[in-house]
Amino acid sequence: MSLLDRLAGRAPVPVFACIGPGMQAVTEHALLSPRLRRAASPREAAVLLRAGAIPERAAAAFGRVHDQLPHPRAVLRWDGQGDPADVITDAWVDLLNGADSDTDRRSDEPPNPWEGKGDHGQGGEGMMGGVPYGRPMAMTGDDIRDGLQLDAYTATVGPFAPMLPPGLTLEITLQGDVIISTSVTAPPFPQGDEASAPHLCAARLLRLLGLNAAAARVARGSSPRALWTRGAIPAGLGEAAKGEDVRARLSAWLAGQAGPYQAPRIGSMLPGLEWHEAMLVLNSYAPDALHRACAEEEEAA
Amino acid sequence: MIWLLLTVPVTLAVGVWLAATFDRLAPALWGARAGGPVAALRDGALLLRRQTVRTEAPDDLNRRLAPVVYLALAAIGLSVVPVTHAAPIESPVGIVIWGSCEALTIIAVFLHGWSPNAPFPLIGAYRYAAIALPVMLPSMFVLIAAALPAESLSVTAIVESQREVWNVVRQPLGLALFLLVGLTLTQRGPFDFADGADIAGGTSAEDSGAGRALWQLARLAMLTAFSAMAAALFLGGPLGPGLPGPVWLWLKTAAIMALTVLLGHGIARTTPGRMLTLLWIVALPVSFLHLAVSGGLALW
Amino acid sequence: MVNVVVIALILFAVWTGWRVFRVDSMVRASFSLMLSFIAVGGVGVVLSMPYIGVATVFMMAVEMMAMAIFMVAFMMNPAGLNPMMMVHQHKFSVGAGVLAWLGLSTAVLSAELPSAPVTSEQRVVFDLGIELLGPSMLIFETAGVTLLATMVGAVILSSREGRYGHADHGSRPPGLAEGGDPAGRVPDEGGGHHHHHHGGH
Repeated sequence: MSLLDRLAGRAPVPVFACIGPGMQAVTEHALLSPRLRRAASPREAAVLLRAGAIPERAAAAFGRVHDQLPHPRAVLRWDGQGDPADVITDAWVDLLNGADSDTDRRSDEPPNPWEGKGDHGQGGEGMMGGVPYGRPMAMTGDDIRDGLQLDAYTATVGPFAPMLPPGLTLEITLQGDVIISTSVTAPPFPQGDEASAPHLCAARLLRLLGLNAAAARVARGSSPRALWTRGAIPAGLGEAAKGEDVRARLSAWLAGQAGPYQAPRIGSMLPGLEWHEAMLVLNSYAPDALHRACAEEEEAA
Repeated sequence: MIWLLLTVPVTLAVGVWLAATFDRLAPALWGARAGGPVAALRDGALLLRRQTVRTEAPDDLNRRLAPVVYLALAAIGLSVVPVTHAAPIESPVGIVIWGSCEALTIIAVFLHGWSPNAPFPLIGAYRYAAIALPVMLPSMFVLIAAALPAESLSVTAIVESQREVWNVVRQPLGLALFLLVGLTLTQRGPFDFADGADIAGGTSAEDSGAGRALWQLARLAMLTAFSAMAAALFLGGPLGPGLPGPVWLWLKTAAIMALTVLLGHGIARTTPGRMLTLLWIVALPVSFLHLAVSGGLALW
Repeated sequence: MVNVVVIALILFAVWTGWRVFRVDSMVRASFSLMLSFIAVGGVGVVLSMPYIGVATVFMMAVEMMAMAIFMVAFMMNPAGLNPMMMVHQHKFSVGAGVLAWLGLSTAVLSAELPSAPVTSEQRVVFDLGIELLGPSMLIFETAGVTLLATMVGAVILSSREGRYGHADHGSRPPGLAEGGDPAGRVPDEGGGHHHHHHGGH
C-alpha cells in the first residue's frame, strides 16, 4: 500500500446519502461521525449511502445520483441499525486496495442526439430558441418583479437534492436565481416525528447559513456557538403571520420548541424569492409539516 | 534575488498546509470536533485517489484555466510582499499589483462556476461576482488609505512607514475592512457566496478528484497571500525586534490567517440580496469615511 | 530584451483581440478582450509606466467581469450553444478598421516623438500624479464623484428595494397628484423584445 493510499484510507470518508422514508433523523445522526464527512454534492462523495428503502418512484433518480459519483465508488445499503461508519470506512479502504468500483446504473447517453435541424445542424432556429444539440435553450420571459425580460430556465430538483427534504421533487422555473414558479412533482417521504425534532430542524437551517460547526453542535443537542445566527436571516422572510417569520421559527427551534405544524403550499411559498431565501423558507418548516402540506394539496387536486 | 523568489513557493506550500490545518482546528473553537495536523494531508490524498469527472459539454479551456489562474494570482500577490527589506517582485506600484490580483480573482472564481455547464455552479458564479465586485470598492479605499502614511504605492515603503507605529493602530478600521476583502477573496464563511450549501456546493458542486484538490489548494494559497499582504499593510510585515525579518512576517501571516479562518467558520452567511445591500449601504460609506479619516491623520 | 518582450506582448494582444471575434461564447469573448488589454498593460509596465500598466490590468478585470455578466444576461445564446457569427456589417467594419489603422499608423510615423529616456530613479508615479491632479484636479474630481454617484444611482434603481418601493410591488413612482396615476413613462403593453435575430455587441 503506497503512502498516498495509507493517507487516503485514514481520511474521513465523504458520503452522500439518499434518504428513504423514515430514515432522515438516523441518517443525519450517523453523518455526524468524525470518520465520515457529509458531501455537499454527489461529485464530492466516495460512498453513496442508500438509507432505507428507496420507493419505486425515486429509483431512476437514485440511479442518476449514483452515476454522478466519481470512481472509485461504492454504494451501501443501510437499514438504520447500528453505526454505518465502520462499514463505510471498510468499503472505502477496500476500494483503495483495488476492489471493483461500482458500475453505472444507467446508460451514459445524451438525452437527445447531438445533431438536428437548423443552419449548422445544431437543432435550433437561427441563433436562439429551439433545442440545440437536444438541450432546450432558455428563452426570455416576463420577470415577475419588474418589467425586465430575462431568460427563464426550468429544471427539476430532487428527490435527493441535499437542500430539500428527502423525496421532495420540485419543478422550478428560475430567472437568474429568482424562482418564478414551482410545482411539486413528488411530495417528501414521510419521516415520522424524529426528523421534525427542533434540534435537527435548527441544524438544517444553520447549515444553509454556512455554519457547519454550529449545525453539528446543535444536531448533537448542544446550543450553537456562532455569530449573527438569527441576524443573518432577513427580517420578515417567509412571514406566515405577524412576527412569524423564518427568524422566529429558528429561534423557537433553538429554544427547543417543536412546530409549526402547518406549512403553506410550496407552490405559493417560493415564487418571487431568490434561491437562498427560498431554501431558508422551505427549511424553516419541519419535514412532516411539508409532507402534510403536499399531501393536502394532492388531495385537493 | 533568487532566494527572494524562492521564498514564494516555500511560503505558499507551508501556508497552504497551515491554512488547511487551521481549517480543521477552527471548528473546535466554535464547539465542534477538530482534526489534527495530518488531517489536511489525508483529505488531499483522498481527493488525489479519485477520478476527475468531466461534466457534459463543459468549457474545457476555462475549466482547466480557472484553478491555475487562481493559484498564479496567489503567487503574484504574495511576491509583492516584502520578505525582508525587499519583495521578491519589487515594484513602485506593488499595492496596485495586489489590487489587480484581487480583481482577477473574481474572474477565476466566475470561470470556475461557469465552465462545468451546470446550474448550481453557475448560480454560485453569478452570486460571487455580484458580491465580489462591490467588495472591490472598500478594498481600494483600504489600500489607498494604507498607502497614505507612506506616501507611496510600494508595499516596501508602506512597511517602512510602520517602523514607529503599525498601521493597525493608525487605521484599525482598515484591517477590519481588509478582513472582509480577504474572506471574499478566499471564499470563506460569511462571504462564501460561491459555494453555499443551498446550491449543493455552488461553483465546486461538479468538482471531483485532483481537479477539486487543485481548486481547494488554490483557495488556501490565496488565503496565504492575503494573510501575508494584510500582515505587511497593517502589522508592519517583516519589522520586529530580535528575530529575523522573514520569521516576523511568517508569524504575523499565521496570526492573520488564524483570525480569518476563525471568522470564516463562526459567522453566519446572510442571503446574497441582503449582503449586496449591506455592502453598498454600510461597507462603502464606512470605507469612504475610513479613507477620509486616514487622509486627515496622514496630513496632520 | 525589452524589445522582444514588447513585441511578444503586442502580438499576444493582437491575437487575443482577434479571438474576441472568433469565439462563439460571450464569456470567452469578454475575457479574450480582457487578455488583450492586460497584454497592453504589460507593454506599459515594460516601457516604464508601471502605474498606468498595472492600473489597466486592474480596471479591465473589473470592467470585463461586469461586461461578461451583462453579455450573458442580455444576449441570446450567450455560451455559444448555437453556433453564431460574432461580427456583422462586414464590409463597413473592414473599411472602418483599415481606415483607423492607416490613420493611426500615419499619426505615429509622422509624429515627432520626444526622445527622453526615463531613468530608474525617476519618480514616474509622482510625475503622473502631478500631471493628472495638478492643473486638471477639478475635472478629475468632478468626474470621479459623478461616476460614483451614477454607479450608486444605478444600483439603487436596479435593486429589489428600489427607488419607489419594493420591486415585487411594481416599484411605481408616486402620482403627481394625491392618488393619481404614477408619474413618468407608462411602459408599453407586453414591452421588451421577444425576438432578437442578431448577435454581436
